[in-house]
Amino acid sequence: MSILEYAWLIPVLPLLAFVIVGFLGGKMKDNGAIVAVIGVGGAMVLALWTAFEVLTTGVVYKPESMEWVVLSSDYSMEMGVYIDSVAAMMLIVVSFIAFLVVVYSTAYMHDQGKRQRRYFTEICLFVGVMLGLVLANNFLQMFIFWELVGLCSYLLIGFWFERPAAARAAKKAFLVTRVGDVMLMIGLFLLFTEFHSLNYELIWGNLTTADQTTLAFAGFFLFGGAIGKSAQFPLHDWLPDAMEGPTTVSALIHAATMVNAGVYLTARAFPIIATSADVSLFVAAIGGITAFIAATMALCAPKIKGVLAYSTVSQLGYMILALGTGAFLWNQGHHEAGSLAFGAGLFHLMNHAFFKGQLFLGAGSVIHYVGTEELSKMGGLGKYMKVTSITMLISCISIAGIPFFSGFWSKDEILAMTFEATDVNLWFLLLWIMGVATAFMTAFYMFRMWFMAFKGEPGEGTKHVIEHGGHHHEAPIAMLLPLVILAALAFGSWLSLFIGDGFYSVINVEGEFHALSIIERLEEVFSSPLTWVSIAMAGGGIALAYYTFNKRRISAENVVSKGFPKAMRQLLLDRYKFPVAYDKIGYVGVYGFSLLLDKFDRYVIDGIVNGISKFLIKAGGVVRKSQTGFVQNYTTLLLLGVSLIIVLLYVVGALR
Amino acid sequence: MLENIPILSLLLLFPLVGALVTFFVKDQKKAKITALVFSAIPLILSLLMLTEYVQNYGPYQFEETYSWIGSLGIQYMLGVDGISVPMVFLSTLLVFLAIIFSWDIDHRTNQYMALLLVLELGVLGVFMSLDYFLFYIFWEVVLIPMYFLISVWGGPRKSYAAIKFFIYTHIASLVMLLGIFALYFEAGSYNGGNYSFSMEVINSVSPMFGATFQAIVFGALFFGFAVKMPMFPFHTWLPDAHVEAPTAGSVLLAGLLLKMGSYGIIRVAFPALPSGAQDWQWVMVVLAIASIVYGAVMCLAQKDLKKMVAYSSISHMGIVLLGFATFTEIGIAAGVFQMFSHGLITAVLFMMCGIMQHKAGTRNIPRLGGLAAKMPYAAAFMMIGFMASLGLPGMVGFVAEFSVFTATYDAFGWLLLIPVISVAITAAYYIWAMQRVLFGPVTTEIDTAHLHDVNWYEALPLAVLCGFIVLFGMFPQLIMGYITPAIEGIVTLLGVI
Repeated sequence: MSILEYAWLIPVLPLLAFVIVGFLGGKMKDNGAIVAVIGVGGAMVLALWTAFEVLTTGVVYKPESMEWVVLSSDYSMEMGVYIDSVAAMMLIVVSFIAFLVVVYSTAYMHDQGKRQRRYFTEICLFVGVMLGLVLANNFLQMFIFWELVGLCSYLLIGFWFERPAAARAAKKAFLVTRVGDVMLMIGLFLLFTEFHSLNYELIWGNLTTADQTTLAFAGFFLFGGAIGKSAQFPLHDWLPDAMEGPTTVSALIHAATMVNAGVYLTARAFPIIATSADVSLFVAAIGGITAFIAATMALCAPKIKGVLAYSTVSQLGYMILALGTGAFLWNQGHHEAGSLAFGAGLFHLMNHAFFKGQLFLGAGSVIHYVGTEELSKMGGLGKYMKVTSITMLISCISIAGIPFFSGFWSKDEILAMTFEATDVNLWFLLLWIMGVATAFMTAFYMFRMWFMAFKGEPGEGTKHVIEHGGHHHEAPIAMLLPLVILAALAFGSWLSLFIGDGFYSVINVEGEFHALSIIERLEEVFSSPLTWVSIAMAGGGIALAYYTFNKRRISAENVVSKGFPKAMRQLLLDRYKFPVAYDKIGYVGVYGFSLLLDKFDRYVIDGIVNGISKFLIKAGGVVRKSQTGFVQNYTTLLLLGVSLIIVLLYVVGALR
Repeated sequence: MLENIPILSLLLLFPLVGALVTFFVKDQKKAKITALVFSAIPLILSLLMLTEYVQNYGPYQFEETYSWIGSLGIQYMLGVDGISVPMVFLSTLLVFLAIIFSWDIDHRTNQYMALLLVLELGVLGVFMSLDYFLFYIFWEVVLIPMYFLISVWGGPRKSYAAIKFFIYTHIASLVMLLGIFALYFEAGSYNGGNYSFSMEVINSVSPMFGATFQAIVFGALFFGFAVKMPMFPFHTWLPDAHVEAPTAGSVLLAGLLLKMGSYGIIRVAFPALPSGAQDWQWVMVVLAIASIVYGAVMCLAQKDLKKMVAYSSISHMGIVLLGFATFTEIGIAAGVFQMFSHGLITAVLFMMCGIMQHKAGTRNIPRLGGLAAKMPYAAAFMMIGFMASLGLPGMVGFVAEFSVFTATYDAFGWLLLIPVISVAITAAYYIWAMQRVLFGPVTTEIDTAHLHDVNWYEALPLAVLCGFIVLFGMFPQLIMGYITPAIEGIVTLLGVI
């Protein structure tokens, strides 16, 4: 009996915790915190064990699915489990980070009193449905859980629902991702009618015999879902607003797990997308554009969580770029390169989840301590928050792409594969340049954040805490421990390249893969000039941040106070006017149209109805008496009706 | 054990007797209890029916036939199949819950309760009749209690709304009746002068009817049913009726009466006039899509919560018609499932409107705000209702909506892109309304100091409905298991497969 047979329990445990906390949490002393820890912890143990089994034995666990609902003689929907190496990796990432975040939350949310029950209820629901999403064996099942994680995201962004900004942000997140979901649904309708099933393997196995145009459209529309969920251009603007939720929620849902669902979907749809070169290029381009513009917006973001939010969008762009590039290469017959790019995208997903989860939790620790999110009010915190500042430094180095930290390995691979695709299609050169520029900006804005928060003169907020707070200590152990563990992974998750046959030999599309040894890989990576370009970009970005925000040899204030930089800065703070554009479409376009339609309904359609009845009343005169009371009114009408029936009967009878 | 019990007749008998008894109970409290008991019995009977019904057996079950007016070929003929079984269950459930929800009615309580039971009688009759004449009688019976519910217990513009409802739907039923008579005579001539209103008899010769005849008569029937559903542009009676109707009236109007229209299409119009249906297919598709999108956009503009919910019904009933108009098995089955799920969901929504009116004193969305802090249970129910209505998976509306759209792509290809827009718009109006009503700072527009959460008689029906919404959302086969086998026959008749 293998552990795999219990894999279905992985989402069930947190869902059980959800039900227990939801109904009984209010009566518990800790508002259900311990139940949540146990539920999510149990799921983690089971998930890690399952993933270990799958990754070490190399089997794909795919038991017979069960029929969920029979719609007709030729359509039915199924539910089942499918765990391959990709799902196994996702299981590790999701369950592990979720567990750490829940532990962290027990301390971080402690001051929320009775509200913690709602928090832990929703978090447990989220973890359960997110794990369900990962385990699905068909696109419909994935979509079901996909929508439910969206619901959790909505509820948790609006956790402090009495704050108008939070309520607005929750609405925006739901509606903007919903636009993507509509596209995803269209993709599902296409696939469902084409294959009469949405089972992954069935679809992957029958791609060559299916209608290629339909497949191209299906790939395009499926990816539309990813654009929404993974906050890709042009639907990216909900994610920065989503920071209105508690920081733990930002860490878990809007950085480390849920936003990866779009990437995971793209990975599942990879064979479909790869049937069309155009769609593949489109995917890559969206990824490249997103990575680039999100990085620019992070450059001058005033809030610590803002920087991290844009950074998340940007890094998700990298992953999508990798998958798009991979699909394109695959489509062009470069199967090995395509597979490698695919692996690089998912490798970055894993690394990013660790370091970005760490950064968000670190930011939570900072906010917890200093009581503000404004970077300009921080400063000098490093002295008081040793653990937080050092662990965040490790993550910053990792995301910036300094060699031997995990971020370096995946980002470098993505850029290398993008450059390789340049041989086939020149557009990829542009995407590569954007990717490299993004690498530079990433290094700069991450260290800008770090220097502004932890180094330099103490800011307003820091002073305030030092003078009045008196609590010169860092966060409690339940918060620090997750920071340290994640920082260790932010540095060390690259070692997975050298466990067994290495990451890429496990995570790939299909086919042969020769594993590289440590020496071979180092040789390959460092012999390439591309690698040195990446490193130079990272170093340059860090150096610029150092001189601007730590040493202050370059005055940021002076630069942004004049001419073009000022206008540019304003544009970036306005997020390229995307929020305004969304509002214009929503409030002016759609809502304005609805108001017009309301007038049309009232005056034209109902006008005609009332006009006819007025005409009849005038013409008849009989019914006018009905105004006196409803009983007579009714009787008259009934009589009228009956007499009409008799006349009609007579007429019909006579006609025969 | 049930073989010898006329379960369907009993389903009609108890509401009838209950209505009479309740009417004469002058004591308010006793009247309520009497009505509750007499609505509980049909609910139990319908649950028995659900368990005894053989799912994978196509034809009608529990059939009862007695000659009524033999010389005219009118029979008292009842029976249920996979399409009517969920509707019967829905009817008994909603009436039972509506009676509980109306526990605070203190004006002419006995009459109110009696009318609800008469309504149940009519609706159940419509869903179980296998004779066109009987069908029509029950159809008309439904109008009367609803008219009085609106005109006596309604809001400020109740007489306008009631008379509009009555005239509009009554004209529609007359046109429908015309169609039924035409069928009667036409079928009689094919049966060698053997005139009968029996659905089975008429449907057995229906494929032989002339094409022109079918097209004309289908038009008449479709008009009757389209007004009832209601489909754009015949919908304007509905928002008025809903805004003025008391809560229980709205629940039953949207939950059951609208279903009579779509039920009529699938039970009466399609089998009796298969080629007529094909001639009108594009009209149905256009009206369905128009209703879906038009209704959804109209919702965005509404300031009155109840009017918004009323327009959402138009949009969601459009999905039913769109499913039917695909003429595919999956589309029709999903349409029927959508009827069922809309009944459950819309009942929650209208109950929430009633609660808002009752507790906060207004349903005006811009005046409400921050209520989640003041009435958390009400907020939770409202959220479940809204989420279910916008088609969230795991709740009952999702599978139906998803399947109708699948059928739409299957049958009409890229035309799908128009109705599917409504998925986003629907989310928009619900989420926006939720933001304004439940979230944000507590409003100063209303007296929130005395605002209290739901009472037991409000919470109980809402909890039951929400429970079913989640149960059938997670296990849709529980209902689809009845529906799917019954659809094949209809599609075969339509000559598509």
